[in-house]
Amino acid sequence: MTRFFSLVGKFTLLVLLLAGLAAPTLYACVGKTLLVGSLGSPQQQILAQMLSILISERTGTSIKIVPMDGHAEAHEALLRADLDMYVEYTGVGQVIILKDPPIADADELYKAVKARYNQELNLIWLKPFGFSDERFAPEGTVADAAPVVRKDTLKKFPALARLINKLGGAIDAPAMKKLEKESASGNYKEVARKFLKENRFI
Amino acid sequence: MKTTLRMVAVSLVMAASLMLAGLAGCASGPSVLRLEDSVIDNEVVWNGEVTIDGIVTVKKSGRLVIEPGTRVLFVHRDYDGDGIGDSELLVEGALVARGTAEAPIVFTSAATQPQRADWKYLYLDFATEVDIDHIVSEYAYSGLQIHFCRARVTNSVFRHNVDGLRFSTVNLLAAGNQMYDNRHGLRYEERRSQVHLHHNDIRENDVGIFVVTRSTDNALIEQNNIADNRQYNVKLGWQQPGDVTLPRNWWGTTEPLAIIKTFLDQDIDGSLGRVSAPQPLAKPIDIHNWQKDQGVSP
Repeated sequence: MTRFFSLVGKFTLLVLLLAGLAAPTLYACVGKTLLVGSLGSPQQQILAQMLSILISERTGTSIKIVPMDGHAEAHEALLRADLDMYVEYTGVGQVIILKDPPIADADELYKAVKARYNQELNLIWLKPFGFSDERFAPEGTVADAAPVVRKDTLKKFPALARLINKLGGAIDAPAMKKLEKESASGNYKEVARKFLKENRFI
Repeated sequence: MKTTLRMVAVSLVMAASLMLAGLAGCASGPSVLRLEDSVIDNEVVWNGEVTIDGIVTVKKSGRLVIEPGTRVLFVHRDYDGDGIGDSELLVEGALVARGTAEAPIVFTSAATQPQRADWKYLYLDFATEVDIDHIVSEYAYSGLQIHFCRARVTNSVFRHNVDGLRFSTVNLLAAGNQMYDNRHGLRYEERRSQVHLHHNDIRENDVGIFVVTRSTDNALIEQNNIADNRQYNVKLGWQQPGDVTLPRNWWGTTEPLAIIKTFLDQDIDGSLGRVSAPQPLAKPIDIHNWQKDQGVSP
């Protein structure tokens, strides 16, 4: 009887193994989908759409925009690789995220925040868009908006930094205000696309 | 003892059921078939309706023949949350999908209200034999992706996809096909491909032809209708510094400046190559008579 159970056991194992071989889980990819965070304000949604359209249209890479509740959540998501990039503000990075003292000078602030993010967090601040939004500026700083990207992502997509940096200095404060006004009805995608098209980015 | 015997019996039944479920994809002939993740490693014939809910792989040793009129439906699942459906048909062996004009083979979404990218793709990767004629592929991320193999794709329709037909590193003949209402009708990275695309209709996509990168201008894309695409008829990708030549096509107009305006190339971004369209045709090509035009018997 023991021998019978042993045989039955072996047979069961064999059948299960065959079943497993017959239906393995396979993986084939379409290329990595890049995840762009958006903090929810109209400005953030326009800029996230702008990054998304620019990257997808020029490189063919698939992009997904992921809504985020706040700066800390977006930053944590970036560190966990749940995001590849989002738009942050220099003053927020310096004071809220890094908990460093405020720096009033815009260039010095950008250099300081960029250096520490790079060295300690493996995150890269790309070129600022060209406007500062005081609504986001902690006391004693300015808030230049710029894309912050995971270093890993830039290694996987070597051309990405050069492409995104085309937007560096391309949106000054009046232009940003105009874009926000145009997207009052929530048509962020259309507004972002129109800007990119009119300025010959796509 | 009775309990033990009952447990043994139950486990045997369960195991046998699992095995049969796994092997069901390899059976031939049923008019209604539902497959989850499964492998085809011998000769299999599909007809009627086949629903794929997962990834079906035709292995090197497998040969899948799909009969005219077969409908292959892909269930929308998005396990990784990237917005792209994960069901797919991956062919590493042989695929013979020869429909007819009256009874094409349809690859589509199983959803009642289908969307672009509901399913991932029909993907040919190092396939050993490919013969595709009179298929319709729609609502996928890529209607058809071909890599590292020799393929012939004729008289087929690619519509409502992100990429209609996409390839890299292939030996490809594509003729008599229609690519419309995709984000990109045709998308390719040339990478030493040998390609002849002719008598295709590439219309009313966001972008007609997207040359992503690594094109050394060897693909011969001639005698097609490349017109009325919403953003551009031809777009060079961010890393395509080389020129691309597309001779003898119909561009919707014979006016040279109007043709050039439908290209995204060096004129818009100085780092890109230039798209040129020598000898533009004066009228649209009749894509349905390509065999006659080419002196090939139907």
